[in-house]
Amino acid sequence: MSGSRVDMKIVLLGKEFGGKTSLVERFLHDRFHGEAPYQATIGAAFGAKRIEVVGKSLILGIWDTAGSERYEAMSRIYYRGAKAAIVCYDMTDSESFARVCFWVKELRNNEENCKIYLCGTKKDLVDENKNNRKVDYHMVTDYADEIRAKVFETSAKTGENIRNLFLKIAEDYTMDPVNKQQQEKDTLNLQEPTKKKRCC
Amino acid sequence: MDGGGSDRSQTPSYDSDVPEPGAGGTVILAPTDSYADLTQGWQGSLHEIRRPRHSSGTISEITNRSKPELAGEKQEREKDGELKDKLNELQVTDDEDLSLTSSDETTASKEDEKEGGQTAAVSSGPSASGLTVIESDSEENVQTEAWRSQRKHIFVLSEAGKPIYSRYGKEDKLVTIMGVMQALVSFLQDGNDSLRCLVAGKHKFVFLNRENLNLVAVAKTEDSYHQLLFQLTYVYNQIISVLTYTQLNKIFKQRRNYDLRRLLTGSEKFIDNLLHLMDHEPSFLLGAVRCLPLPSSTRENIAQSIVQNANVKDLVFAILLANNQLITLVRMKKYFLHPSDLHLIINLVNASESFKAAESWTPICLPKFDASGFLHAYVSYLDPGCQTCLLLLTVDRDMFFTLSECRQKIVDRLNRYNCLTAITEALARTSYSISQVGIADLRHFMYKSKSTAQYTSPELDAPYTTKEEQERLFGLYLYLHHRIHSSARPLKILFHVGANETLLGWMTSGFELYTVFGPLVTKTQAITSINKLLKWIKREEDRLFILNAPTF
Repeated sequence: MSGSRVDMKIVLLGKEFGGKTSLVERFLHDRFHGEAPYQATIGAAFGAKRIEVVGKSLILGIWDTAGSERYEAMSRIYYRGAKAAIVCYDMTDSESFARVCFWVKELRNNEENCKIYLCGTKKDLVDENKNNRKVDYHMVTDYADEIRAKVFETSAKTGENIRNLFLKIAEDYTMDPVNKQQQEKDTLNLQEPTKKKRCC
Repeated sequence: MDGGGSDRSQTPSYDSDVPEPGAGGTVILAPTDSYADLTQGWQGSLHEIRRPRHSSGTISEITNRSKPELAGEKQEREKDGELKDKLNELQVTDDEDLSLTSSDETTASKEDEKEGGQTAAVSSGPSASGLTVIESDSEENVQTEAWRSQRKHIFVLSEAGKPIYSRYGKEDKLVTIMGVMQALVSFLQDGNDSLRCLVAGKHKFVFLNRENLNLVAVAKTEDSYHQLLFQLTYVYNQIISVLTYTQLNKIFKQRRNYDLRRLLTGSEKFIDNLLHLMDHEPSFLLGAVRCLPLPSSTRENIAQSIVQNANVKDLVFAILLANNQLITLVRMKKYFLHPSDLHLIINLVNASESFKAAESWTPICLPKFDASGFLHAYVSYLDPGCQTCLLLLTVDRDMFFTLSECRQKIVDRLNRYNCLTAITEALARTSYSISQVGIADLRHFMYKSKSTAQYTSPELDAPYTTKEEQERLFGLYLYLHHRIHSSARPLKILFHVGANETLLGWMTSGFELYTVFGPLVTKTQAITSINKLLKWIKREEDRLFILNAPTF
């Protein structure tokens, strides 16, 4: 899982207690710790996973960042060079959607080439009781159209939509002609200095 | 009751030319005296902090090192000056006695006199009436019996009186009581004075006023005034560690009434955990670290694994921890880690479950190292059982993947030499029992080597097996420590006969020793015993202490 072999950098952003870590846990290890007490992420945690998409194999390097406000000033360390950002909001917390707009602006200003994916979390709670929903789906899609982002509503508890989200991200990445060229360029550059390329 | 140094023939002696047990050839941590942090708080760092060395902090010093094209002659000279400053600072920390300001000394001695007394208001200013204010008001603010009966409350508030942290209860429900505290503090500040301590019945109210923050302890524990003040300093440092002094200062410069809780979200648990550790772990009281007992060859091997595989530019410290104990510490030449900074790192690891799930990359400020900026820490557990935690601290924020590769190489080498198994085994067997020391009637002890800032202590055996007994033992140590380090009357040796045990504390230029004997031991016996004990520690020092400090 060495970092240098990561093909694509993905970063998760969003308000604390929004379920970013659970989402990553579900995707990387297919598990959900429902009974464990809440643990705020410190700084950022890194994980990587290989996935197959449109006949290609890609290693995704995923940065799960801390949602606490004090890290905002330093968040650039984590999202710099990211090809995709999953901006999370808690569907049962309207305030968390306000933070989404902050992150979108931040990314637009600093990281033009980063594709944005809006991700509602804790869908299971909304499915359980419609009254739990505090963020309207159409409002989100309208906003997403405006900023040309895609929307996914997910649940780390049931796993709903989480694999789809990452597949879509990987697919968009591979289909993007800019990245294709970039990939070829990268491989060429890599091969030049090393005389024999060995598989380790 | 006390048998001080009156009878020459009965005092123990230690040849000061011989290095104390546990003293290494090279220093691994910055050496400390107890309360060193505190004295520095009074005289050194406050002053130092008032003019933060923005561009000349330790971090930028290291960063600049790696840019030789920028490092002209002038910068070279600046660095020299910087280093001299740093050295002087260390010197000061080292030599400084507990020389507090005169008004404070009266506080301390009065406090001593009034010990057990009913009510005493001790402040260094004109406002003895402050006491009645807090008494009558606390009655209105008392929430529940459970809240009231907590033995040690800690509060943090901003200079504007806004609640930031309370150990128990929701801080926003305590607005009134914090307002009163703020009123007391600023009333005295107006008269160019400061409020340090109030004693009411069994309770001590201890105040620490730092720029931007006021910290208050309200305790009915064995802790002395200085010990509480010391703990408040740790809490302050913990907040700095999360935010940096620069950021804290900037925020309050912009908005005096800023609600700091917003920025501290998620880090309250670090303060909670720190306070819990301070009530149970002697390392904070002693200003020292405990090492995981390991054969010196194994420890050497572990250090080599790190030195060989993490030798990358800009890496300042590599630290291996297990169960709050230090396994090894590799540092960049010239730079030392202060024990209190290491305590904050231990607290960070101890308080967070989230490092167990994945490799992490987090900013951390070490107030003693450089309060003005962040170091970046790569944090990862090395074993599947999540017991051995590796931290790599660097000034380069883009080094995660480099360090992640280092980690893999370190793990590979550790496994090749079975070091991780050795660590797991050392953790599984308890460190050592007092019976292994083989001294009759010696129940427990704490030994600190001052020059290396490390200490050793046996497991808690009978009678200290219940929580109550352990707390009582800790209280005895607090008392012994307090008496020996009392600013009004510091002692070299203290022999104290209590109802259940006899205590002997001994302080030399090289070490501090705190021993607990059975109640019937005589002074002569106790002295013979501690001489034996010192020989035993000397014999075991290879295993109990880190004697060689590896560097990059």
